[in-house]
Amino acid sequence: MSRHPKERPASQAGMSRRELLKRSAAASLALPGAAMILEACSKPGTVSSGGTHANGPGVGSYWPAGSPYPLARQNSPVTWKLWREPIKSGLAPEKGATLQIYNWADYMWLKVVRQFCAAYNCKYQLTTFNNMDEGLAKMRTGQLQFDIFFPTPDVLGKLITGKLLQPLNHSYVPHLVSDAWETYQNPFYDQGWHYTVPYTVYTTGIGYRRDLIPDAQVRGMSNPYEILWDTKFKGKIGIYNDYREAISMALLKNGITDLNTGNQKYINQAQQTLESLINAVNVRTSINGVYIGIPKGTYDIHQSWSGDIVAAWQYTPVQNMKTWQTLGYWFPSNRKGAIFNDTITIPANAQNPVLAHHFLDWMMTYKNAMLNYTWNGYQPPQRKADPETLTTTKSYYGEPYVFPWLSDAVVRESDFHTGFFEEELTPQVDQRWHNAWQAFNSA
Amino acid sequence: MSEKVRERPSVDRRKEGPAPLAPARNIRTPLGWWRNPWRRPYILATATWVYLAWSLLPVLIAIGISFNDGRSNAVWQGFSTQWWWGHPQSDPTGALFVSPELHAALIQSLRLSFLTMFVAVPIGVAFAIGISRWRGPAPAGANFLMLFSFVIPEIIIGISMFLFFTYLLKFVHLGTGAQLLSLVTYQVSYPVIIVRARMLSIGREYEEAATDLGASPTQAVRRVLLPLLYPAILVSYVLVFADTIDDFITVRYLSGGASTEPLSVKIYNFSRGTLTPAINAAATFLLLSTLVIALLGVFLYRRITRGQRAETQTQEMSGYLT
Amino acid sequence: MRGLLRKRSRDERDEARGAWYPRWYWPAFALPGTLWMLALFVLPFYVVVSIAFGTVDPVFQSPLPVYQPWWWTSRYLLEEWHLVTGEFRAVEVRTIVYVVLATAICLVIAYTVAYYVARFGGKRKGLFLALLIAPFFISYLMRMLSWVELLQPNGYVNSVLTFLHITPHPINWLEGLPFTVVMGLVYGYIPYMILPLYGFLDRIDQRQLEAGRDLGANPFWTFVRVTLPLSKPAILASLVIVTLPMFGDYYTNNLLSGSPKTTMFGNLLDDSMEATGQGPEAAILVLFLVVFLMIPMLYYMRETAKAQRNQ
Repeated sequence: MSRHPKERPASQAGMSRRELLKRSAAASLALPGAAMILEACSKPGTVSSGGTHANGPGVGSYWPAGSPYPLARQNSPVTWKLWREPIKSGLAPEKGATLQIYNWADYMWLKVVRQFCAAYNCKYQLTTFNNMDEGLAKMRTGQLQFDIFFPTPDVLGKLITGKLLQPLNHSYVPHLVSDAWETYQNPFYDQGWHYTVPYTVYTTGIGYRRDLIPDAQVRGMSNPYEILWDTKFKGKIGIYNDYREAISMALLKNGITDLNTGNQKYINQAQQTLESLINAVNVRTSINGVYIGIPKGTYDIHQSWSGDIVAAWQYTPVQNMKTWQTLGYWFPSNRKGAIFNDTITIPANAQNPVLAHHFLDWMMTYKNAMLNYTWNGYQPPQRKADPETLTTTKSYYGEPYVFPWLSDAVVRESDFHTGFFEEELTPQVDQRWHNAWQAFNSA
Repeated sequence: MSEKVRERPSVDRRKEGPAPLAPARNIRTPLGWWRNPWRRPYILATATWVYLAWSLLPVLIAIGISFNDGRSNAVWQGFSTQWWWGHPQSDPTGALFVSPELHAALIQSLRLSFLTMFVAVPIGVAFAIGISRWRGPAPAGANFLMLFSFVIPEIIIGISMFLFFTYLLKFVHLGTGAQLLSLVTYQVSYPVIIVRARMLSIGREYEEAATDLGASPTQAVRRVLLPLLYPAILVSYVLVFADTIDDFITVRYLSGGASTEPLSVKIYNFSRGTLTPAINAAATFLLLSTLVIALLGVFLYRRITRGQRAETQTQEMSGYLT
Repeated sequence: MRGLLRKRSRDERDEARGAWYPRWYWPAFALPGTLWMLALFVLPFYVVVSIAFGTVDPVFQSPLPVYQPWWWTSRYLLEEWHLVTGEFRAVEVRTIVYVVLATAICLVIAYTVAYYVARFGGKRKGLFLALLIAPFFISYLMRMLSWVELLQPNGYVNSVLTFLHITPHPINWLEGLPFTVVMGLVYGYIPYMILPLYGFLDRIDQRQLEAGRDLGANPFWTFVRVTLPLSKPAILASLVIVTLPMFGDYYTNNLLSGSPKTTMFGNLLDDSMEATGQGPEAAILVLFLVVFLMIPMLYYMRETAKAQRNQ
């Protein structure tokens, strides 16, 4: 007898196609149902074409179309407007307060904070973020009231336009004028230092094992970036897991000095450069590869921030001069390389603004900044700390701030005029950089 | 079909004598040893012990490192309790019980775990009971949702919860409340699966007997069904506690500042930056606290099921995990 | 409704077969759980969908959910579809290969261990069970970090291997070897597989196994012909618990290998989530993953529904 069309063998009696659809529909029905209870309002995401650039949050010569604020560049600086008045001068610091600090993890020596708290009779609480997006997202909720925030200059536009920072009252922070580099009274990203004081300055170069690669060899190369392609160290070479740093390094290797370029050809070239690293030397990406990886032996050569290599001596398994002498750092001798700095700001909804201003002044003072430097490894822009003395003066731990063989890691005020800053990109250009990075990562 | 039974040859077996024995197998030869069905399972035993060693040895080493005299996480430098309650030279306030940050994180870890445990398990158990007995089309959709939340990667739940609370339910502030809500959401499917599996093997006879004897529905559930489920419920409590105390993905997104970051998040932060043996001490402490809870669970279980010890202990407890 | 709430008389109850419960009784039990899931799982998930089809904030470049479906844009969907079928194919294939390998290894090891402990554990079953449950109570991070320490070029693993002359010189395990990543996945997820298998094998009727042996099958064939088919539902359950989360795993690769050569799909997801202005892209990838995972989920539900019906 032939099987009837509707007949189904017993094993399939469980779920007919209709039942299957019904089940997945049951779940998906929940979704539009929820939408119906949400009220309709205007389409989000549309930039209200409110006003000309004159009404904007700041003034700057580079203001791409569609951007809500001007983008800062070394050759087109930005002056931010004061969206509200700073706090009044001459106020007494808040008593019995708890200073809320929001910073990167492991970026500030708590000893310095504790000394501040002892001097001003306050307590502190440090919250950390792992990346700037996370920091911004939490700040924007407005629920967390921090007194101190450490953003990088490339997000200042967002923060100020979003009214998340308060303008500073300079009378509370005299040590910026007296102790810090003069250029920071008028940095290109915040002319007239309306919102920021500088925290640390650093360069991006290459950290390596001096005992495996002689200094002379690296400095003798015509393009020392190519040390990263040395197949003798296959498997022990690393770059930072950061799309801006990695692609910038590739750009510099290819001779492009605009680290904010939107030129698709250059970006493609940089992408191919990075991809060639994978095949040549099995490159890996990391964030702590320099101060954890090189001392441990995980990496022999790694793209490095100057502060990472200066602080790396604290993490070597054997603590003696011989081991510390194996740490090396290279930065272009004409000082034309990637340079950056971090800033300290005061959020708009700070509960203890006067205390916060005093904290900023504390961090600008030579004594405290250098104490922080000892542990941090990232150099503060202090006038009295010139490169010659940094390699010879003994710090709190009894060793020089910077070992003489790491002299390339010392940042000079002149580097700001020769070096290249990574700054904020327009969304379209940013997308191109992201696509290149994603392509590299999905090799 | 023929009705006749196949005829057997009439043989009088008694005349034959005893049945011939199977050819004797000498179990002393390798082949005989291999074929002996009653030999001890040496291969399986070795495999099991190797697995256990592989599974637990790195952890024992990590616990050992927490007593390291020195800063390194990899090289043994001598025994010292400095990272637990001492003042190590390289980080004087970094020890687990000294550091105020770690102290606050510890309290938060325990707080979140206990709260989650006592919210997620009752909801989950009730859900499991309801789903197992309910007949109809709706339970399938609810069941699907529950299962789905079990297998979905936690990072998706973390991100969606963060966006949900910061964009929609703005009255729920980031912090312990938000963390609790998302932890319960992630954990509630655990007791459901465990209790549901157990309920599949409990028939309805017990409740039927109870109602036949005059019990009301609630009484039948409370006095008959629930006691049968006690072991499964206890296992759920222990597992939810263990899972929550380790959780770092969801709670990280929903923390409202350093005071609401539990120890697991601190471990995660440290793992991306500087590593000191204090982290090992923190993780060991977490392990110890879950062990204490587990022992408590076992103790309670033994007390409650004093009358039910017909089956072997372990068979009961393990059976409820399928 | 009155019919639901009306209490039956004693005679009616005596007549009725089995225990009698009002029709709303069991749904009431399931109600809190269902409401919770609807409010706190489905709605946030809708937020993810709204982001996937939404836009970005013009100032902060953060993801901006668009709740009204009529304003949804399919721009990011098309972009990501293009990537998922093009550039990401290598990563997807690699992820599937890693997950299948890791699951297979997990299954073999877990089944062996569960079988041994269930059938031959004897008096020490409690001890074995405690040791098997122990990994649940140890932080996943801690377990992985311990392995990172052991696998360093100068770590204990290499010391032991070179001491026993298994390898001539130390191997750099963490330099981007697929082997390390797969074994890392196995190590992380295997405890979740052992317990369900053990629980099931523990309850297999001994008599069925003895019957097989009495009929002349040696241990091997008893296993293949009797035990294995019986444990199919348990294997399926443990596969669901282990395989599906593995597809979204990113941490194992991050920790055990920083190399782009071993990137998994979870890494692409995580990178998008951490990057500015990539919110909608990340949400789309999440949706792709979810849709992909629905297929085995539905298969599992169908199998358990069948099993329940056959009971």
